[in-house]
Order: sequence, then structure tokens, then C-alpha cells
Amino acid sequence: MTPEEKKAAAIKITQEIVDEFLESLWLIDERGKKEKGNKSALCAVVVDEGLVADASQAEVVLMDMLKAGHIEVSGEDVSFRPGGREAAKALIRRKRLAEKLLAEVFELGPSEIKASACRFEHILSPEVTDSVCSFLGHPPTCPHGKPIPQGNCCKKLSHNVKPLVVPLDDLDPGSKGRIVFISPKDHGRMDRLSTLGIVPGTEITLHQKKPAFVIRSGETELALDPEIAREIYVRQIG
Amino acid sequence: MQCCKKEDPAKGAKRPGAKRLKKLLLIGNPNVGKSVIFGHLTGQYATVSNYPGTTVEVSQGNALIKGEQYVVVDSPGVNSLLPMSEDEQVTRDILLNDDFDSVVQVADTKNLRRSLLISLQLSEMGIPFVMALNMADEAEQAGIDTDIPALARLTGLETISATATRRKGMNKLREIVSNPRNSTLTIKYSDRLEAAIANIEPLLPDSRISRRSMALMLLGGDTSLRGWLHGTMEDNAVDELAILVKESQSGFNEPLGYVINKERLSVVDGVVKYCQTQLERPTGGVRSWLGAVSMHPVWGIPILLVVLYLMYQFVGVLGAGTMVDFMEKTVFGKLINPYAVKFFESVLPVEFLRELFIGQYGIVTMALTYAVAIVLPITATFFIAFGILEDSGYLPRLAIMVNKLFRLIGLNGKAVLPMVLGLGCCTMATLTSRILETKKERVIVTLLLALGIPCSAQLGVIMGMLSAISPVATVIWSGVLVGVIFAVGYLSSKIIKGDASDFMMELPPIRLPKLKNILMKTLGRIEWYIKEAVPLFILGTLVLFTADKMRLLGMMEKAASPLVVGLLGLPEKATAAFLIGFLRRDYGAAGFFALQKQGLMTPVQVLVSVVTITLFVPCIAQFFVTIKERGLKTAVGMLAFIFPFAILVGAALHFSLDLMHVTLQ
Repeated sequence: MTPEEKKAAAIKITQEIVDEFLESLWLIDERGKKEKGNKSALCAVVVDEGLVADASQAEVVLMDMLKAGHIEVSGEDVSFRPGGREAAKALIRRKRLAEKLLAEVFELGPSEIKASACRFEHILSPEVTDSVCSFLGHPPTCPHGKPIPQGNCCKKLSHNVKPLVVPLDDLDPGSKGRIVFISPKDHGRMDRLSTLGIVPGTEITLHQKKPAFVIRSGETELALDPEIAREIYVRQIG
Repeated sequence: MQCCKKEDPAKGAKRPGAKRLKKLLLIGNPNVGKSVIFGHLTGQYATVSNYPGTTVEVSQGNALIKGEQYVVVDSPGVNSLLPMSEDEQVTRDILLNDDFDSVVQVADTKNLRRSLLISLQLSEMGIPFVMALNMADEAEQAGIDTDIPALARLTGLETISATATRRKGMNKLREIVSNPRNSTLTIKYSDRLEAAIANIEPLLPDSRISRRSMALMLLGGDTSLRGWLHGTMEDNAVDELAILVKESQSGFNEPLGYVINKERLSVVDGVVKYCQTQLERPTGGVRSWLGAVSMHPVWGIPILLVVLYLMYQFVGVLGAGTMVDFMEKTVFGKLINPYAVKFFESVLPVEFLRELFIGQYGIVTMALTYAVAIVLPITATFFIAFGILEDSGYLPRLAIMVNKLFRLIGLNGKAVLPMVLGLGCCTMATLTSRILETKKERVIVTLLLALGIPCSAQLGVIMGMLSAISPVATVIWSGVLVGVIFAVGYLSSKIIKGDASDFMMELPPIRLPKLKNILMKTLGRIEWYIKEAVPLFILGTLVLFTADKMRLLGMMEKAASPLVVGLLGLPEKATAAFLIGFLRRDYGAAGFFALQKQGLMTPVQVLVSVVTITLFVPCIAQFFVTIKERGLKTAVGMLAFIFPFAILVGAALHFSLDLMHVTLQ
């Protein structure tokens, strides 16, 4: 549908459009720009993405969402109501977990990730989402370094579900693991680890966790800060 | 510290007419034994220890290999030719700026994977080399079997197996050095990466290393290369490159340096799998047990205490006590000095000249007595003990134990290496600060070394002085010192901009120190101490002698009186000790030692003088190294802080002891 056609037809508000609105609002909030209210920013984004034809249509959608109890609008300021926030959080969580899964496990490039992750967010059920999250070891951030909202599985802290992939600091000293991914908080850190041969696929043994982590890979013994160990995700073996 | 020739022999060789010497470079990961091989080839000793980062400077020596004269260059160890710290950059810059007739990659056989990561980069650079698989004995002990012919086939390189510490394989190495080849071990990266390389490659200038390797360095995020590029290209071309690199990075989720290394490692893993087999790995052993307990959160502490106690017994009791006593009272007191007095009295008829040698400020009676009788035994015992620690592999484990503590002062555990080395000699330690990754860390360590870390010579004299008064004094002295180091470290970590780096440190295996290496190292360090310190001791004595004879000393004492007597509460005569303290802190301390022995200072004065001289300005050599490493401005800035600060702390101590009526009797 071209924008002209969209404008001609009275806008049909689908769940997907509402989802995208919620998501856009979440992202605007996350960026933390609070000048004079965020309504115009939100409208600009949704028009830009081709969800609606113009600001007036956006207004229509917003009114609908207001009625549904997702949001509050006061003057130029749009804010979440609890139900809307939960929905938006779940959407973002699904999207970023999907990105993480596609990037780390399937090692896809950014464009493929973007295309697929957007579809995942609408179709993953809560159970599947939590499984993906547990599988990835409740990752704190997406591949772009943005925070992934926590789900129930993260709060239970995986006491019930034994995750396949865990951060290195969840391993007991003496156990072995194979690195699945290294979450990129600091770029230099990943570079340096890789020059020492610490990359996904590398098998390591955890020797101790205090006062610093000591791991062994082959005949290389390495001491690490706990913060670094927390960013190395492994799958326990043996 | 290096005891090898520093001048560049090849420079001379480039003069027209002179016969050009061939150049050979030793390169490889840290702690694989490059310096041991350097020693065998050249017959010169380069410091060998059991921790990564012993060599921070390039050392050069001459070697005769198969009838040809070579200049052999030993380089600091690298884990990647994309430098992460200053010592790694030294090595990369050598490859960028120097021509070599042969390059030997020294590899640790049991860590072939990481060695091949370097081989692959040398191959990419288009540098012909040969391969020495060192530490064959340790690989065998670890149950690793290497098919060397297979590896040679895959890499296309002349490859030999060696155990350099036992001289094994050295002749085979001499056979192959004249036959370096371009390695056939190459890598085709993923399409996206190859596309990025292809974008950048044509813009780069010709140089000693291939454009492809330079493109990879730039993509990998090498900022240190930019300076070099600015020297060979137009400024806007360099900026254009930077933009291209940024664009390439934006197509990837992960940092490119990491992506590149991941792809390299997958090639390397294939090679390792093909030519190495892991047989049964023998478990345990005393050495691996020792390695584990020495960094254990609980057992590590008693072990540290035992190490400190043994060091104290060896350096403090045996060196500073028994040996100094023997040297001072028997050797100098009964033999040398009386003989010297007789000798100079008979050959020098002029009183003035006699005093120059045997008077109160005499070269023999003061400078040599201090240097040889008091300071030498202490330095020698310290260097022996320190050498054992270095070679055992304990120091990196100590770094683990102190990591959290060092975090408080903006450093990480790795900084313990230069700091402990500073207890031997702060000049050497200032150079070793290169192993730290960020500028902030290097500045903090340099400052703390200049301010509060006493070198072995000074430490010994101070211990001698403190042992004569109440043990409370020792507690106060060490308390003030630790307090000052942490306070200044903490504040400077807040003031100095920049980041602390991650604690990510390789642990060498625990090894049994070799007596011969310890002796060689200690002798080298003593020789260097004598060369550096004794002339300064003599110079200091001459200054005092002249000042005394010209009646300047009295004037200076008067002039400094408000400071020395008023603020610090010391006798006027202490001015002389401070004066020579400007040359070397240990000499200044020795001056106080003499005053104490003559009964001219009360215990409180002893303590105040000891605290002040510990914090006093760094010695001349250290100051010059600080200028060289950190720049004139930083070095002078440090000096401008340290001098008043030392006096201030001394004065504060003097007044608070006074106020509390502490006598330390």
C-alpha cells in the first residue's frame, strides 16, 4: 500500500500497528529525550516507518490505544499505562532476544537479523520466549548493546529451568565449558580475549573464581576480572 | 634492565663502504623463550624470567651463524601484531620500520594455537621467516605430540623443535636461519571481510609489510598505525581511510578485530588439529598444585606471608644484617679503610688531598664504604630473592591476590609487576610500566614509583636504621608509606583522565628456577647497579667535600635550617644527607644512617628522617627514564609535587609525634 492509498482508505488498526506504536514509544523513552513531550517524536517515527500515512492518522491510532487503556496522552506528552508498558516490554524483549539468538547462535549478518527479528517479536509465545532466554543464559543485552528487559525466567534466576548457556561465573570451579558467545560490552575486551585464543568454540576449564577468575584453555592459563567472566557465556560440557 | 649493547650496530653498517651486517629478528608470543635463544645465539645475556613482559625494550647482540655475522634483535613478546600495549607496539613498529635478512618466530610448542595466530599475521605481512618450536620438554610433559614435518608442510616453513633452556635444537636453528620463506599458511576471510579489505587496500602506501596486512590492522581498530600513516600519506587521505574503516565496522555486529581473530583462529585450529595429538594429560604434580594454592583466595595469603618472611630473612637478616656487618666492620673497618688510610698518608703529602679520599667526606671512607659495604650486600641479596620469585612464576599469581586492592588506586593486579620490581630498582621498574595498557595506569605507576616505593638499596639502609629503635617505628613507617601510596594513588586515579584497563593476564606455569639464570641475572643487575650508583655516590661525596671545604656546607645548613630543623625537627647536619639525597635516595638514607650511628639523632628524628627520605625525590637515573617514558612535562610535574609533599608528610609526622610525646625509646 502506498501512503496515498493508505490515506484514502480509512485506517484499519491492526494489532501489528498497535505493537509497532508501543515499541516506538518504548524506544523513544529509552533514548531518554524529554524536552517538551514526545508525541511529535512518536508521530514522526511511525510516519517514517510507513505505519501510518501522516500525523493525523497517527492521532487516530493513539486515540484508539488510549481507549484500549495502553497509554495516556496529556497535551504533547504520551506515556504508558501499566498494561501498555507490559505489552511494550514484552515486545522489546522478544525482539532483542531474537536478535541475540540470530546473531550469536546462527551468526547471521545485521541485515538478515533486522528482517527476521521484527517478525519474531510478533509470533513468539511467552513460553518459547522464556526458553530462548534460558537457552541464551538470560543475556543482559542485545547485539547492539541495548538492555533486554527481564522476563519471569530471569527473575527465577534459572533455579527451575537449567539453562544450556550460562555466564562463566555460574559455573563451578573445576568444571569445563565451551564458549558459545561473548557479550560485547567493551570492544577492546573482545579483541584482547581473541588474541589470547578465547573465542566462541574454545573449550575452557574454570579453575577458580576468587580473588580473580582463572581459566585454562589448552596450555594457556588466564586470570580475568569477574566482570569479564560474566560476559563470557559457556555451555557446560563433561 | 638490559645489559646488552643499546647502540644500533646496523646503523654503522649502513655507512657506504662498511660491510653490511645481516640482521635477524626474534619474534613471538610473550614468555616463549626468545631471550633464552637470544642468549645462546649471541653469547650475551638478556634478562630471562618466567612471566610475560620481561623484555620491554629491544636488545641487540652480535652472533656468528654458519660463518656469517648477524645482528640479532630480541623483541618484546606479542599476542597479536595489532598492538594492545606499548611493549607490543615496539615489536610491530620494528616490523614496519626495519629490514631483516631473517626472522625467527619462537613458538611455545604446547601453545601452538596462539603461536600460529602470529605466524598467520607474519605470513599476511609477507615477511619470510623460520619457525622454532620451543619448550618441547614442557609439551612432552603435558602429553602433547607434535608432527613437525606435517606442520612444516602446512606452513611451508623451515621448522625445528627446541628446548632452549637445555640448549637443545640450537644447532638446528643455526642451520635454518639463512633460509627464511614466505609462509604458505594463508587465510581467505569471509566475503564481507574480504570486501572491506579490498576497499581499503588500494588506498594504502607501499611499505615493508603488505597492504593487505595493513588493511587488516586498520580494520582491527589499530589507532597506533595512524601516526605512521600521517608520515607517509596526505592528511585527508588518512581521514578518508578512517571513514572507510568506520563504515566497514558498521556492517558488523561485533568489533572487527574480534571477527578477524575469530576467522584466523578457525584456520589455525584446523592446522593444530592436523599436526598435534593430545595424549593422556598427566594430572596434578607438585608444581601445578603450588600454582593453584598460591592464588587460592584463602591459602594464597599464608603463602604470601611465607614468601615475605623468607625474603625478610634472606634480604633483611642475612643481607642487611650479617653481610653488611661483615663488610662494614671487618672488610672495610679492619682491612680496606686502615690500609687505604696508610696508603694515602704515605703517597699523598697534602692534607687536603688526603681528606678527599679518606676524610669525613672521603671517596673511600664515605662513597665506597656506603656503596660496597652497606648497599651492595642488600641489593645483591634482594636481586637473588627477586630472581627466584621471577623465575618461579609466582609474581603473576601475586597479581591475582592484589588485583582488588589495586583497583582502589585505578590500577589492576598486573601493576604489581612494576611495583615489586621497583623494590629492586625504580629505574628498571619505570621502564617495565610499559606492560600496562592504558596511559593513565602508566602515569600512576610511574608516580608511585617516584614517590613511595623504596628501592632495595634504600630499603636495606632504612631497615638497618629502624631495627636499632623501637619496632613501633617500623610499624609507623610502613603505615605512613602504605597510607601515602594508597591516598596518592586513589587521588591520582580520580584526577588523571582515562580508564583503568581490564585485568586479563596470562599465568606462566610454575617452574623450578635455574640457578645459573638467577646468577646471571643477579650479576647483570649488580654490574648495572655498580655502573649506575657508584659514580653517583662518588659525585655526591665530591659535592659534599667541596661544599665542606669551601665552607658552603655550613651556609647551606643555615639556609635549610627552617626546613630541616624547623619543620622536620632534624639536626642541622641532616642537610648534607638531603643534599646527596637529590642524587640518590639510598645515598641520602645512608647519610642519615651515619648520623644515627654517631648518636646525633634521637629515635623520633630517625623515624622522621626515614619517612621523609623514603618519599624524597627519585634518583637522577629514574628521573631521566621518567622523562623518556612519560615526557618532560609530566616528569617535572611529578617532581614539583613530590619534593614539597615529602617534606610536608615528614613535618606532619614530626609534629604529631611531638604532640603525642612519643619517644620511641
